[in-house]
Formats: sequence, C-alpha cells, structure tokens
Amino acid sequence: MTSPSSIQRAFFITFAVCVFAIAVALVAWCIWWRSPVEVHSYQKSFANGQTDDWTALGGTWELVSGLMRDDSDERGAKLITGSSRWRNYSVEADISLLGQGDAGLIVRSNKEEEGVDAYSGYYSGIRTLDNALVLGRAEHGWREVTKKVSIPGGIQPFARYHLKLLAYDCQIVSALTTASNPTPESIAITDPDCVSSGHIGLRSYRSGGTWTNVVVRPAGHDELMAMLRNEEDRGVRAPGSPPPDNAAFSRAQARLTAQPVSNVHVQSVESLRLAFLARPALATVHGVVTLNSPLLFVQDSTGGMYVKQRQPLPLKVGDEVEVTGTVNPAVFSSVIEDASVRVLWESIPMAPVSVTASQASTGKFDATLIEVQGRITGKERGPDNTFILDLEDSGQSFRAVMNPGRSAYVFDRIKPESRLSLRGICVVDPAFTQNLTPFNLLLRSSEDLNVLAGPPWWSTGHIVALLFGLFLLSLVSGFLFQRVENWRLRAVLQERERLAHEMHDTLAQSFAGIGFQLQAIRNNLPTQDPALQQQLELASNLVRHSHEEARRSISMLRPQSLESEDLLSALDTHARLLVEGGSLRVSSERSGEIRPIPLRIADALFRVGLESIANTVRHAQATELRLHLHYGNNSATLQVEDNGTGFVPDNAPQGFGIRGMRRRTQSVSATFHVHSAPGQGTRIEVIAPLPPRVTFTTWPKFLWQYLTETWNHARPSKLSNSHSYRG
Amino acid sequence: MCLLCLGVAVGTTVLAISCGSSRQELIAVIPETDGMMLWDAAHTGAEKAASHTGSAIYWNAPMREDDVAAQVRLIEQVVSSKRYQGLVIAPTQALSVLSPVRRALSQNIPTVIIDTPLSLPPGGNLSYILNDEEEGARLAAERVARLLQGRGNVALLGINPDILGVTTRARVFEQTLAAQYPDIHVIEKRMGSFNILRERQVAEEFLASDPDVDVCVALLWTTLNGLFSAIDSMHPRRPFKIVAFDIAADPPFQQRPNLDCIIQADTKEMGRRAVELIHAKRRGQSVPAEVLLKPRVITRNNLNSPEIRQMMSFDWSLGRWAWSSTP
Repeated sequence: MTSPSSIQRAFFITFAVCVFAIAVALVAWCIWWRSPVEVHSYQKSFANGQTDDWTALGGTWELVSGLMRDDSDERGAKLITGSSRWRNYSVEADISLLGQGDAGLIVRSNKEEEGVDAYSGYYSGIRTLDNALVLGRAEHGWREVTKKVSIPGGIQPFARYHLKLLAYDCQIVSALTTASNPTPESIAITDPDCVSSGHIGLRSYRSGGTWTNVVVRPAGHDELMAMLRNEEDRGVRAPGSPPPDNAAFSRAQARLTAQPVSNVHVQSVESLRLAFLARPALATVHGVVTLNSPLLFVQDSTGGMYVKQRQPLPLKVGDEVEVTGTVNPAVFSSVIEDASVRVLWESIPMAPVSVTASQASTGKFDATLIEVQGRITGKERGPDNTFILDLEDSGQSFRAVMNPGRSAYVFDRIKPESRLSLRGICVVDPAFTQNLTPFNLLLRSSEDLNVLAGPPWWSTGHIVALLFGLFLLSLVSGFLFQRVENWRLRAVLQERERLAHEMHDTLAQSFAGIGFQLQAIRNNLPTQDPALQQQLELASNLVRHSHEEARRSISMLRPQSLESEDLLSALDTHARLLVEGGSLRVSSERSGEIRPIPLRIADALFRVGLESIANTVRHAQATELRLHLHYGNNSATLQVEDNGTGFVPDNAPQGFGIRGMRRRTQSVSATFHVHSAPGQGTRIEVIAPLPPRVTFTTWPKFLWQYLTETWNHARPSKLSNSHSYRG
Repeated sequence: MCLLCLGVAVGTTVLAISCGSSRQELIAVIPETDGMMLWDAAHTGAEKAASHTGSAIYWNAPMREDDVAAQVRLIEQVVSSKRYQGLVIAPTQALSVLSPVRRALSQNIPTVIIDTPLSLPPGGNLSYILNDEEEGARLAAERVARLLQGRGNVALLGINPDILGVTTRARVFEQTLAAQYPDIHVIEKRMGSFNILRERQVAEEFLASDPDVDVCVALLWTTLNGLFSAIDSMHPRRPFKIVAFDIAADPPFQQRPNLDCIIQADTKEMGRRAVELIHAKRRGQSVPAEVLLKPRVITRNNLNSPEIRQMMSFDWSLGRWAWSSTP
C-alpha cells in the first residue's frame, strides 16, 4: 500500500480551507444583508474631524469648522458613505451653494465612479440656474424632474437651505425648507424599476457647497405619506419637450457672457515677473483659482502666483477670477498684494502639470499646480493643525502640507516608505520652506494624495507573522493528514472483517461439508480396500488441514479482536483458540507502564504476533508458548517465545512468513528480531517506537520531529511516530 | 462530504448568477467629456438605440476634454473587465487612445469610433461613424463667402492637431476658399486646444495685434469661449463676425450678435447608429466600415426649428425610466 502523494494531500487541505471560507463568507453576507439602517448623525463626527467612512469621487472635500465643504467647481463631485444594503431611509442636511450651479444629496447610490453622473441612484438638489428643486435618477446618465421654488429671491449662493430626501420602496420624495420659509416645497417620483438600496452621498455640480447637520434615519410608510401630503404643485417636465428658455438645461458650460469687465489691461502671470522690477505697480491678471485655503493661488496658462486679498472672498477651486493689486515680483514667481478679486465665472479646476521632484526643485514651477511622486520618509503635525509629510524622490527632498479636516484620516493611514503621488501648489519661497527643502507642496485636500505603493512587505513583523502562519498551517495540515490516514486504516480493517465473514460463510463451511462427506464415504465403503482407505484418509487429512488454515486466515483477518481487547489479550485469546485441545500451554505477561498504542502500530504487532503464534503451532512442536508485551518510555516490545525445535534464522523455510513479518514491522518503523537455533526454541521480538509522552519540556522537540517527518518523509528517529504505511 | 456538497452548491450558484447577469448586451460609450450638450445628445442617441435593441449602456467620460489619461483609463477599465460586448469612443486625442483601442480589437470587442477618426483603418471589428468634416468645412466656407460677399479677410483659430477631424476642417476650409472664393484670404491662423485659459490667451494675443479680419472661424468650442472672453475684455476696435464649430451649449445668438452660425455635428445620430451597428455586428449582419454624417448649420433663424431642437435635445424616454409622480 502506498502513501498518498504530497499533491493529493495539499489538494485536500486547500479544498477544505476554501469550502470553509466560502461558508463563512456566506453566513456573514446573510447577516449583513439583513442589517437595517440605523440612525446616523454625522454632525459629531464632522465636528471631530472623523470622516474615515466617507469616500470622495472628484471635488476637493474638506472639513471646515464642522462643515463638510467642497471647494471645487467640478461637475458631479461626490462624497459617499453608508451601506449598499440601506433600503428605506431618509437623509437630510443643511446645504449652501458656493456659487452658481447645484448641490444636494444622493440616496440609494451604487456603482459610484468619478464622472458627472457616474453612479446609479437618486439625487436631489437645489439649482441656481432655474431656481429649482431638482430630483432625478442617475444611471451614468441623468433624468430629472424639477420644481421652481417659491422662496423669495430663489436659490442663491451662500444662503442656507434644509433639504430632506426620502426613499421608501420605489417612491422618492424631496423636500426643501428654509428658515424664512418653513413650509416644505416638495417633489416626488415613483420609479417602477427603482434602485432598491444603496449608499448616501453629498454632491455638487459646478457650484461647490457646504453640508452640515447630515442625518440619516430609517424611513417608514407614515413618514413617506407625511412628506407627500406637503407636496405642492408638482412640477413634472414632460419628456421630449424642449427646456423652456434653456432654463432647465443644467449642463451649460461656463457662461458665455461674462460679467461686465472694466476696461483694464490684463497681463499674463509670467509677464509680471519682468515688468515691474524698479517699483511696485498695479497689475490685473485673469486666472483660475488653484488653491483657496489657507492661501489664495491663481494660475493662468503662463504660470501661477500667490494673491494676498485685501478682503477675503469666498472662492472655489476652479473659479476664473480677475485679480487687481500691487505686484511684488519674487525670484521665481510674483505675489499680488492688497488684491481685489472678482469672480468672472465658474470653471472646471485646472489640470496639474506632471513633473519630477528634480524639475520642481528648480523653481520653474513655483506657485503652479503640479503633480509629483515621492517616497515618504517621515510625517509630523505642523502649526495650525496642518499635517506635514516628508518625502524624497531621485535625491530630492520636499514636504507636502495638508490642511486639517479630512486629511487626518489619510495622514494616520499613510505608512513610512510608501510611495505617493501628490497634487498641489509648488512653492519655493523660504517663507514656506524655511530653506529646509527646495520646494514644498501645498495640498488642497486629502484627494490630492494617492498611495501608489505601500511600504515593502518584507518587514520584521511580517516575516515573523509569515513564519508563524506557516507553522500553524503545518500543524493543521499534519493533523488533517493524520485523521485521513486513520480513516483509511479503519476502512481497510472493515474490509478485512468483511472478507473474513465471507470466507467463514463460504470457504470454511465448504471444507467442513467436504470433510463430513469423506467420512461418510469411509464409513459406508463395502470393502476394506487398504489403498482406497488410505486415499480417503489422505483426502480427509487434506480437508482438515485446509479447514484449519482457513480458520487461521479468518481469525487473522478479523480485526475486531484487536479493537475489543488490548493487544496482548487479543493475541492470548487467539493463541488459546488455536491450541485448544492440544498440549501447547500458552502464557502471557505484560510489563511497564501501560499506555495506548497507536492503531497502526497495534495492528502491525498483532499481525506479526498472529503469524508467530501460527508458526509455533504449525512447526515448532513446542509445549510452551509465552507472549510478553513490554511498554517502554518511547517503545513497545512484543516477544513471542516457544520451547520448540527452533531453526536457523538465515535458512528459514518457506511458509514461516519471516519476510512478511519483517516488512510489516518496517512499515511502522519497528525493528524485527528472530532469535532461534535448532533445538533451542524460537523467540520473535518486535520493538515498535511509540510517541513520547508530551510534557511541558518535551513538546517542542516532539513537535519539530513530528513536523519534519510528516512533511519530509524523513528516516524515523526514536522520538518519532511515523504513520507512513510503506509497502 | 457535507462540506464538499456545500462548496459545490455555492460555486454552482455563483456561476449561475454571474452567467445570468451577463446575458444582456452591454455596450460602453466613452465620449470626450460629459456634462455638455454636445455629448449629452450622443448619450441620448445611444440610449434610444439601446432601448430598441435591448442593450444596456455604460456611459462615462473624463470631466475635462483635455484629460486624455482619464479617457485612456476608462477605456482600459472597460477592456480589462471583459464584461462589455461593444465599445463606442469619441477620442479626445487621436494618438493616445490607439493602444487601448488596439487592445479592445485584439479581444474581439466590436469598436465604433465616433465624431473624429483615428489613424487605424476601418474594418473587422473597427468601424467609424464620423462627422463629415469636409462637408462642415465647405459649409463654413460658403457661409463665410455669403457674409463677405466673396471678398474679405478671415482668421482661422483653434487648429488642434490632437483631433484629426479638426485639422481636416482647417485644411478643407482653406482649400474651398482658395478654389471657389479666391478673393477671401485666410490671413491669420492659430493653434488650439481644449484648455480654455490657453484659448483665451491666444485670442487675446490675436486681438491685441489688431487684426484686419472680417470673420473669425473658431474650430473648437473652447476657442469660441476664449474668443468671447477676449472680446469682452479687450473690446476690439474692428467688429467681425464669428463662425464656429460644435458648440457645447445652446448657441448664444441673443447674447452675441456677432455670432453668425454654428456648424454642429449630429452627435445624437452618431450615438444611435454606433449602438445599432454594434448590435448588428454581433448578430453577424454586415455593417458599413465607415459612415459620414453631415453636420448642420445652426443660425439664429433656425435655432428653434423642430429639426435643430430634436438634434440638440438630450431628453429621452426609456421604458425602464417611465416614472410618474406620486399617486
């Protein structure tokens, strides 16, 4: 019988682990699916700067004074949280727009990506373009219904509105209130093919916005009906009809009609560096806001500059502005001081220029929005609760400065030696760098930072954990393998039992029957023919001999005697059965501290014992048969001794089964000895190794040997207990 | 044995679900950008066609026309997911999308390029549904000739080498003028891009040179925006008319009296035909390798005609979105 291949063993273990993992995942998913919406108020977490569970897709999201703020003019910037399993719930918040456009709330969102309507869910918001409350469905496309609000003044930037969006079954309701107009203005839809569950989110389109007092609650039918009762003058836009006066066309690009402009000479940012070297002078530039907090940076197609406003104006990243002020040319860029800033229109944020750290360190990209990569060498908290990352790349060191707010979560997660991609304003002025680095990077939000690669995996902790994991895996695998081997052995024993029964019921009975028939023939022979009598006698002897052999084979196949009794008792019982009625006297003795013998070893000892007893009965012509089983610390010794005729061991005749016994003992790593000489009897001795007693001091040694021999099929030592069943 | 049965049952269920969910034909449509009328109309056309063919549309685009990396990333995402049975692309940049398009073709994904071509020849799994740029250029030339009554100076702004169609416009426009209207001269030409700031600067430099032009032809919508911005800030001494291509929003004829017309590509029809072509190709029907769609001339006189409004409308009725107000 051959041992299973290592491939089979590995396959079995891997399959068992996979099935277990799938079962656990299935149970966890079922539990999660049933998780209901609970009340979530995000006000406290916003106040504490905790936004770990929010995911930004576009925009520049930051926490400012407990408000969630998107400072970007991006179209369709989203901030998502919640569970994809939330079904019937409402979300409400106080919302302000930071410019022209729309901002609002998302419910039942799934499959979110960066993009204008790149999600599947429902959105409701307030829009300045047509003074409307908007409700619609996005499915990587957009369809909406709108309702003009009757709020005095309409929808204005920087005014605060309270929006509540409820989803119950396939009905979605949105309600808008203000402090001055507490009666809700509502709009509702019934979507037969609705999105049934999903996340919540905050979203803005071109305007940016602020959100506060964000609360999610489970929603019931009563609440839905209450909101519907407040609905007034539903404004449903019939599909296919043109938008009235283009007002509902919410996808307009930057307005093509600018604000009235003063008749001033507009210069490029780059030209400011050269034009006013002798004395300060006024200049006007047009550019796009690239950073608005804590400092204002504006950039045009020729470069960027730092702007010190006379009076801070709420601006968003992406706003196109006209800046007029006193130019103070620096070495690599200019600063406009005492500046008045006027918003021309909202636009989309500028794209960063991708540069290397070496290029940025030349100063050429001072005050410009850049993208650069680097490896983190350290991190610390700076003044005004800012977060500072120390980075290096290609021999250049630089620092990245992040504002407080959502950056705390990112800052804590970043590990040293990670490789990052960062976007921000490159500044070389010593006022920012303190001459510690050639340049610093002012990040606008935590979304300006991407981890490209974590720290190298091979750290001390990971290596130790890996070794420990391998060690545990080896233990588990060995245990499982041992169990499998035991199952297989039991199957073999059961098969033997079956064969024994078959032989008893067929072969042995047949021999008995033949014997009786022969005796009957002898008894009824009419003549006393000596030759015939002799032949009959011979036939009867043959049948009797075969019957006895069959009985011996049956008894050797039946393992129940081994399982129901201990080894010595089983051998003793068998021997007494064999010699019943004869002159051979059987005695058995045990010594040493009795301990369990592993089944495989017990089986091998039992087989060898049986064969030895059979040889004694058949060949030895002995009068005494002694069985001795000795339990040692690490071994078990079985001796079968008789006072018979003996033989020369090297010239053992065929039929003694010496070779078979030797093979059987080798298969359990036992030693086999034959002590015999003509006229001096025979002693068969088998010494089988037993697993050592596992104590507090001996278990590491035992474990190491066990693992080594189990996985490597190593030559067994005295301490081992190899269960390999070599043929 | 019980664990084995459970594992087989779970695995079979997962396989059945995944197989079932992918039965509907899924077509990805990735235009130059999103959130503007030009491409919302293409989305409308694609969704209308999909509602007839039973396909599902995945629509996404970069948030800026000049974000080439984002468009390449979206295409790569679609190709590598192996979930899509068709791909429609309006390329932002002719060279940058070559590699992801080749990968899509190598995976036997029927691909349709709309609006502006690539340098790959059509055939096999690659088809083109393009704006007839030559026709558009001829229409522009005729419009200019009518404005100038056969005599005058023209400035050609916004020549963008990233878009093959735009260079075709410029070339054919000049050739048409040279061949049919020899007294109309192109005296100024400027390169263009999708960067509005840069277009404004170019326009300001152009106007600062006090050009003696009678008509400005803006080949890109960003060029038009930049030109308007420059006009507002610089108040040029000499008035001139503007002929533009492919505007992003409703043409501001009321706000801009000097805007004469827009040569507008029919992106809605492109979207519709692209989806139908992919659907037909997957069913083994023969499909044309290249289709040219003529642009329309939009003027203040025909802006609200049913034909123009239908072309520019981005609203659609979808059976699955046939929602109603509350009962």
